[in-house]
Amino acid sequence: MTLNRQIAPGFNTIEKLNFPKYGIHQTANGLPYYTLIAGNEPVVRIEVVFDAGIIKQSTKGEAGFVASMLSEGTKSKTALELADALDYYGSYFQLRCNAEDCIATLYCLDKHLESCLPHFFDALTNSIFPEKELSIQKKNAIQKLLVSKKKNSYVCRKTFYQTLFGVEHILASFTEKEDIQGINRETLTNFYQKNILNGFKYAIISGNISHLGIASFSRMLASSDLKMASGEFTIPLGNRGNKNTLIAKNESVQSSIRIGTTTINRKHKNFRKLQFLNLIFGGYFGSRLMKNIREDKGLTYGIYSVIEPYKDFSIWYLDCEINYKNRNKGIEEILKEINKIKEEPIPLEELENAKNYYLGSFLKSLDGPFSLADRLKIIIDNELSPAYYAEFVELLNAINSKDLQEIAQEYFVENNMIEIIVGKE
Amino acid sequence: MIQYSEFTLSNGLHVIHHQDDATQLCALNILYKVGSRNENPEHTGFAHLFEHLMFGGSINIEEFDTELQRAGGESNAFTSNDITNYYVTLPANNIETGFWLESDRMLSLNFSQKSLDVQKGVVIEEFKERYLNQPYGDLWLKILPLAYQTHPYNWPTIGKNIEHIEKTQLKDVKAFFDNFYAPSNAILVVAGNINLEETKRLCAKWFESIPNRSSEIPLYAKELAQTEARKINVEADVPVNLILKGYKMGGRLDNDYFACDLLSDILGSGKSARLYNKLVKDNDVFSEIDAYISGDVDPGLFLIEGKLQKGISFETAENAIINVLNDLIINGVSNDEVTKVINKTETNIHFGDVNILNRAMKLAFAKFIGDTSLVNSEIESYRSLSAKELQKFAALTFKEEKCSTIYYKAKNDAE
Repeated sequence: MTLNRQIAPGFNTIEKLNFPKYGIHQTANGLPYYTLIAGNEPVVRIEVVFDAGIIKQSTKGEAGFVASMLSEGTKSKTALELADALDYYGSYFQLRCNAEDCIATLYCLDKHLESCLPHFFDALTNSIFPEKELSIQKKNAIQKLLVSKKKNSYVCRKTFYQTLFGVEHILASFTEKEDIQGINRETLTNFYQKNILNGFKYAIISGNISHLGIASFSRMLASSDLKMASGEFTIPLGNRGNKNTLIAKNESVQSSIRIGTTTINRKHKNFRKLQFLNLIFGGYFGSRLMKNIREDKGLTYGIYSVIEPYKDFSIWYLDCEINYKNRNKGIEEILKEINKIKEEPIPLEELENAKNYYLGSFLKSLDGPFSLADRLKIIIDNELSPAYYAEFVELLNAINSKDLQEIAQEYFVENNMIEIIVGKE
Repeated sequence: MIQYSEFTLSNGLHVIHHQDDATQLCALNILYKVGSRNENPEHTGFAHLFEHLMFGGSINIEEFDTELQRAGGESNAFTSNDITNYYVTLPANNIETGFWLESDRMLSLNFSQKSLDVQKGVVIEEFKERYLNQPYGDLWLKILPLAYQTHPYNWPTIGKNIEHIEKTQLKDVKAFFDNFYAPSNAILVVAGNINLEETKRLCAKWFESIPNRSSEIPLYAKELAQTEARKINVEADVPVNLILKGYKMGGRLDNDYFACDLLSDILGSGKSARLYNKLVKDNDVFSEIDAYISGDVDPGLFLIEGKLQKGISFETAENAIINVLNDLIINGVSNDEVTKVINKTETNIHFGDVNILNRAMKLAFAKFIGDTSLVNSEIESYRSLSAKELQKFAALTFKEEKCSTIYYKAKNDAE
């Protein structure tokens, strides 16, 4: 029988998503940690989450400096001795902070965990923020800032947050040269005392970790000086600026464009529907924005829309880089797509395709220990049910075009959106 | 250890199978043995543009991505100097859709003028976004022609210039496909929750009926040994001066490759690295500095790139780098340093292998450079290196007459 290549092979839709069992533990002194054992490779990741995000800072740049300087020296070790000790075992020590928290991560092979843990905890609990290291970090941060400011995408992002919330808002807290110059040891040490040493939220251990390794971690955590974070925080909505902003960069061959608004948070009943609608609109390679503006018209290398969730609300935006001469055409097409998804129900085939793709991508994101641990963090941070991901199948299958059109009409409101352009006037 | 088995179909397509029952996914990775090094010097950027066209519909299938997404799959691709690599992941029980799609575009594309015109536009925007509209974005466009005089690594994957992309015609696309996308010029890896028997069945069904096409891979020029230090000055609207030095080193199968990789870690990786400690912390010469290797199949470059502190001259900065390299050549490395970078490498390998797709890509690449078993022997190649050998290779590599240097100057050095 000859093969008929015109007919697609049969396929199955995903009927079940499994989120593996994870462990919820507490040290004797009440510090919570989670374990997610998965995978065959002998690798371990430990994330310690602190209530030490940008929201907690009293001066700009503080939270970021404290996070990045946890590796810059402790009471008993210089920055180099600490780096040598951790690097010797082939481990990686990463520090990052965002609006809501600060996360210290250790990556290592299970066989080296025992050797790495004391140094990891030393960095978290005995940091001293040495003057010399601080002045080097400040100088280098200023140089990095100068480079960022030359990037249209950076200027666009910054202007977007500043316009959406006002320049004083926590999410618009981009450091300037003067802010960096003003950082000093004393304020960093205070922030560290308050928000790291007394700001522990939880830890997640993931990978193919032995019970021995978990026991060591638990012991070290319990005997550390870390104390639970206390208190809730709220990020206010701020004051919105002008609807349209153009920042002139006349030498640019391309313009950065960002259009968006604030929207509902993860706990809202419509959030997952909005997520799915966003996927269809601009959230994947087969989205309407990509199909129209890249794949049909070739106006950009990439265009995506994103939901960026915070505790109390989310930000929805789309961004792209477009040639100056095509800029108006590009924006016109974007606005057309916004109107179209509100005015016309999504055709059944497009809807079914997007559902199948979405479930496939969930299956992929639930594969492997670290990807699973990232999902677990979302469950913890938003106090979601452990069945959150498993429920997606049923929820998606129940969604129809009419629901999505209503969601579009409620949340894709052009009047609420701001538009930032950085490029030629 | 990555377990695998391999076989070759009657049309010359080589297949590697790797089973992993712990995942719910299956990946197809197809490596075509064509990269920018195989391009005509008068028509560069073509292999990469062609990669975009592979998503523009094939002979029996109008929209590759739509069909894939319908079955819950995702795909992407990349082009390098040496290869063009395509990959698809799907829920394991839908992997036949991947076979259908990938085999159809190996059989024939539909070669539409519209797809070509659109993708030219997309690639030109990519060129601007990544190489022209970024501070230091054209660094790669500058160092390659300086370091390579005859070998095709003298242009980047994106192409020498936008005009080369603009002038592409449909007939070029067809000829390129017929020649370079023949089954015998490809390696297919099937990895994930699928057994060997099923893999063989699906390969026979979808791929074996593709007729082989005679493909002739044109020879390209070798690079002659560099015998003089090369240096250029560039001035652009960037905020900070930058220096880039590229020393000639061997290719993937040369005996200095693994040593250079470890040396780049000793010099440049993490906060215990030498360049960072000596030139950022102990001496205030750079604000950032890094060392890395280009990782090419043919002889490539060992690169050192740093941003200068204000008030430091290019000459001072360059001498400071050379002093760190000389110290390595004269005083060697400690055993602890060797253990450290080998441990780091082992960590990187295991973390990389967590992902099924990554394992599939590694298998394809190992076969491409000579032998699939290289995928598992790699770590031993690193472990076998001693401090003495690293010192020897440092002395062989870090010679100024084998180096190309760029002084990248900030035009309006105001602040």
